[in-house]
Amino acid sequence: MAERRETRKEAGAGLIQYSTENLVPFGPIHPALKEPEYFKLYLRGEMIVDVVPRIGYVHRGLEKAAEQRRWTQNTFMFERTCGICSFAHSLAYVQAVEGLTPYEVPRRGLYIRLIVAELERIHSHLLWVGLLGHWAGFDTLFMWVWRDREIVLDLVEAIAGNRIHKSIAAIAGVKRDIPDSMKNKIVERTKYLADRAYFYKHIVDTESTLLARTRKVGNLKAETAQKLCAVGPLVRCAGLARDVRADDPYAAYGDVPIDVVTRTEGDVHSLLHLRLDELVVSANAIDYALEHMPSGPVRLKIPPTIPAGEYASHVEAPRGELFYFVKSGGGPNPERVKVRTPTLANLPTALELLKGYTMADVPVVLTAIDPCFGCMDRLSFVDLDSQKQWTWTGEELRQFGIRYYFPERTI
Amino acid sequence: MKVKLENFKAAVKTLTEQFGMSHLSTITGIDSGENIDVHYHFWKGDVITSVKVSVPKSSRHVPSIIEIVPGAILYEMEVHDMFGVFFDGNPWMDRRLLLPDNYPQDLAPPLLKQTKPADIRKAVGVER
Repeated sequence: MAERRETRKEAGAGLIQYSTENLVPFGPIHPALKEPEYFKLYLRGEMIVDVVPRIGYVHRGLEKAAEQRRWTQNTFMFERTCGICSFAHSLAYVQAVEGLTPYEVPRRGLYIRLIVAELERIHSHLLWVGLLGHWAGFDTLFMWVWRDREIVLDLVEAIAGNRIHKSIAAIAGVKRDIPDSMKNKIVERTKYLADRAYFYKHIVDTESTLLARTRKVGNLKAETAQKLCAVGPLVRCAGLARDVRADDPYAAYGDVPIDVVTRTEGDVHSLLHLRLDELVVSANAIDYALEHMPSGPVRLKIPPTIPAGEYASHVEAPRGELFYFVKSGGGPNPERVKVRTPTLANLPTALELLKGYTMADVPVVLTAIDPCFGCMDRLSFVDLDSQKQWTWTGEELRQFGIRYYFPERTI
Repeated sequence: MKVKLENFKAAVKTLTEQFGMSHLSTITGIDSGENIDVHYHFWKGDVITSVKVSVPKSSRHVPSIIEIVPGAILYEMEVHDMFGVFFDGNPWMDRRLLLPDNYPQDLAPPLLKQTKPADIRKAVGVER
């Protein structure tokens, strides 16, 4: 530790400071990605000794914008924080707002919230498994998994009317009901997806590319995860059973049994298993909720002003705990809305995980925290021995990783 | 739970060590007129405990808690960016996490009520 600090200091303090001339990437943002992050990796030879993050390239000032908008308008704006866990965002927001009001959300509405949230989790986990296959150089898995992802998206579209931004959450309920005629279709599809999850678990254990790239890559200890306040699958793969759905039940999670899956290895391979297991848990939860769904209304009509007060709410988004804090002054607009996304909470852990691994492991380890993969679009490298600096795009880095592990393979 | 600034670090230490609330969900800054309120949200089981401190706008200094909760480092940087609060003891107070590099030094931090959205758009060059 001490030696590393020493080297960094003599390597020229200028390198550590941000310099607009040669380090900030121009346009690392693709419209499809939502959290481009910028990491500066300090290398000695192949080994990573330190990582400095710089994020905020797509910081759109939603918290400021929320103060200018009505309570209801914000439901739809916050949904656009994320294109993958969009429902989790609107759900956490409406729960925080409902915490300030005396109204009780109809129980059928709570069940529909659970079903949509779990479909979203299946979608997000499938997306992640596919992406990990892509970054590890096993694109067949990517194609398979993303084909199955279409099934979930079709289901979401049938329920909510939209594939990505579901726009189904509303303050004091949900906007659309699930008709009984749709139940069989949903159960049939979730059963198929659970079967596929078992098939992918078999692939993950037998496919040599995945084994070489993921096993013993990343080694997260429970103490580190605890210390750095990690959330979601990352903390569960280190052995801590921390899940908002089970610990602090919201929506209908109090009525629907949820198994909290944990692993102890803490590497990327165990994360693959953990997410596939969670997919099965989600599929079961959806079936259970559909079977036990009470009848009645799904939403209350409430006045546009919200009583004054402060309320904090959190939900288990696919990536982990998603936190919202709302302050109302009693008017038609919020005084303050604070959002903390799971990727930000997991960032310190990811930086810690990278240390000691090689440059070729960067795509896989960074994907492990399930960031929105814009993070990898630009990386700067600094070789501490020669003081050489260079920048790679995500694709260049992916190819480097594949060549490093499988030199004979053509890309 | 509202605490005085001088007792703040001891309160966090008690909460994390004696009550086991070692998971910090996030740090929220709030502009409440004269003061800036800083809320620390800790989560354990089915409880979210918020520790609140207030600092006057004229002297925005709060002791950093990264030696007690190392995961707080990015949250402190975020509040520093958005409200201009200094967390004494955090080594990364000299840099920005979220704000663009061209955000002017002399413009008030963006989430203070005095800063208008139009000023921000003008300052970072996205005025339509």
